[in-house]
Amino acid sequence: MDALFLAEVMLAGIGSGALYALTGVAFVLIYKATRVVNLAIGEILMLGGYAFLGFAAGLGLPAIAALVLAVVTGGLLGWLVERSLIRPMLGESPISVFMVTIGLGSILVGLVQLGWGADPLRLPEFMPATPVFIGDAYLAPKVAVGFVAAAVVIAAFLALFRFSRSGVALKATAGDQGAAYSVGIDVPRVFSAAWILACATAAGAGVLVGAIGGISPTMGVFGLSVLVVVIIGGLDSIAGALVGGLLIGLVEALAGAFLGGEYKLVVTFTLLLLLLMVRPYGLFGTHEIERL
Amino acid sequence: MTAFEPNRRRIIAGTAAAAGAMAFGFGRASAQAGAPIVLGGSIPLTGVFAFAGIGIHAGIQDYLKILNDGGGIKGRPVKYVAEDTAYKVDASVAAFNKINSQEKVSLYYGDSTGFAKTINSELDRRGTMIMAGASFATELNDPKKYPLQFMAGPDYTEMFGILLRYIAKEKPGARVAFVYSDTEFGRDPIVLGEALAKELKLAVVEKIVTPPGSVDVSTEVLKLRRANPDFTIFHGYVLAPIPEFITQAKQMGMRSAFMGTFWTMDNSTVQRMGDAAEGFMGVMPYRYYYDRDGSAPMLDRIRQMRPDYQSTGYLQGFVTAMLLTEAAKRTLDAGKDLTGPNLKAGLNSIKDFDTGGLFGVPISIPGNSVPVGRIYRFDAKAKQMQPASDWIKL
Repeated sequence: MDALFLAEVMLAGIGSGALYALTGVAFVLIYKATRVVNLAIGEILMLGGYAFLGFAAGLGLPAIAALVLAVVTGGLLGWLVERSLIRPMLGESPISVFMVTIGLGSILVGLVQLGWGADPLRLPEFMPATPVFIGDAYLAPKVAVGFVAAAVVIAAFLALFRFSRSGVALKATAGDQGAAYSVGIDVPRVFSAAWILACATAAGAGVLVGAIGGISPTMGVFGLSVLVVVIIGGLDSIAGALVGGLLIGLVEALAGAFLGGEYKLVVTFTLLLLLLMVRPYGLFGTHEIERL
Repeated sequence: MTAFEPNRRRIIAGTAAAAGAMAFGFGRASAQAGAPIVLGGSIPLTGVFAFAGIGIHAGIQDYLKILNDGGGIKGRPVKYVAEDTAYKVDASVAAFNKINSQEKVSLYYGDSTGFAKTINSELDRRGTMIMAGASFATELNDPKKYPLQFMAGPDYTEMFGILLRYIAKEKPGARVAFVYSDTEFGRDPIVLGEALAKELKLAVVEKIVTPPGSVDVSTEVLKLRRANPDFTIFHGYVLAPIPEFITQAKQMGMRSAFMGTFWTMDNSTVQRMGDAAEGFMGVMPYRYYYDRDGSAPMLDRIRQMRPDYQSTGYLQGFVTAMLLTEAAKRTLDAGKDLTGPNLKAGLNSIKDFDTGGLFGVPISIPGNSVPVGRIYRFDAKAKQMQPASDWIKL
């Protein structure tokens, strides 16, 4: 085994892990604030990809404008869903809300298929095509861009929770809703903000994922695979999503390179099982998380 | 009143008798002349295979329209009854049961390998119909195990055979890599394909398997670069992750030619690969919608009916409907009932049959497949897959 190949495989793994981490953040934001596992994240991610396609290819906007608008579209959808579907469900059992998000996912798939058809599509090329070399090791340019984007967004979220008032309000709500109410935090508004941020993040991740792998109405399964990442990292920890994403990306890449692609999922889920036995709340999750 | 009673009874009796005569007598006579032959279908109009299912659905409908406008089969129209399955085996089976409970089905289109295998024993038990479909699985190409099924083209191993023969002719002793998805569809031709490559004195230097639905393939491309093949054959995908695979491979300076099998070969799908599409090759059993080489009156008909490009899924549905109904025609011509075994015998009697130019050469169906195909290569200037070889018959 030569060192260069190992380095390239690890770089590729970390790059794809960053995409897992970014999507994982969307799960974590909503779970942290509202204790809802939003299974429609994958479909919102898909919608982000299609929104980008609509703005960039349909309306002919520049890529950066289309990216911003796709993220805004995701945020708007998050706001709409929270106000119209999730807020009326407050106080209902978590399973009911969970089922609502599954239904929402199906509706989004149907809407996209009505609007754009069922064919797999490619996003317009907007990322640099020049290969990135770190030393002698090759890194695919799209994966490098995805990594940088994910790193910036996750760092921004970590800073937000640590230093901003709204971030602290979200953390307080996550800690104890009743106490947060009693100190004057507008909890419903925090819920709304969490959904908006999470869906905007998912839509942005959708543009990155779509730029690498193309888009189709069924690309939402990517979101489901990220669920493993957040369970490993801890459902309510942004740092957990980051570490979980990078870990799974790395493990998958090494398993794919040295054992074969058929072992990627086996290794990932073995890791998940082992971890759940040792730390059922994930690497960085809060101890008393209610599990589904 | 009493005097009138018998008369009224007579009238009622007479009316009933007339109605009965119409229902059983005339009705029966007209059934013999024009009762429809039913082609049922479990069609994936939604779900992961919808991109093909929608085309298949339109192709079947269009062929039956042409057939029925021309008088049907011996005066009997062919009625198409389809249900959406979302490409799920349980939904396909439910659709099969529903359609069969409402209609007397003689011909059936199934949407997947899983469904074809699941429903096989039921097909044999009923013995009333033959079935073809979207699957080109090698396993189905066994008339002993699947006596009432067939496929309207080469099976996946035969597709590999056509590709490998082309490679062996173009570059004897070439280094070949297989990249396939970790699905039943993806794994299908790999073992037999490798054996065939050995026979043809080609070196299979790498076999890369990718998990279903994987987005980022950077690791796999790294493996491919180390193997440095002359030809790379993708199988078990539609579009993703092929374009990213080729793009990254080209960025690394790889010079391999890239190839695909039937379900990757739709012209609009290949176009969507962008820059990666240039030089992409693959195997196609049918002519493309826009092909003008040779005589293809049926393609002219299709182009008249639908002025816009039609997908390979459309052509597959169209050809499958043609072969299914040809089997029914031959069965009725022979004076036999439309039973499964009779229909299959009718199908297997197809020899040097002209499909109106959809297949580039006359075809025969001695077993369960039609092992014919041609290599096409994408021409970026014309934005079209163009023929790169003659028709290859195995």
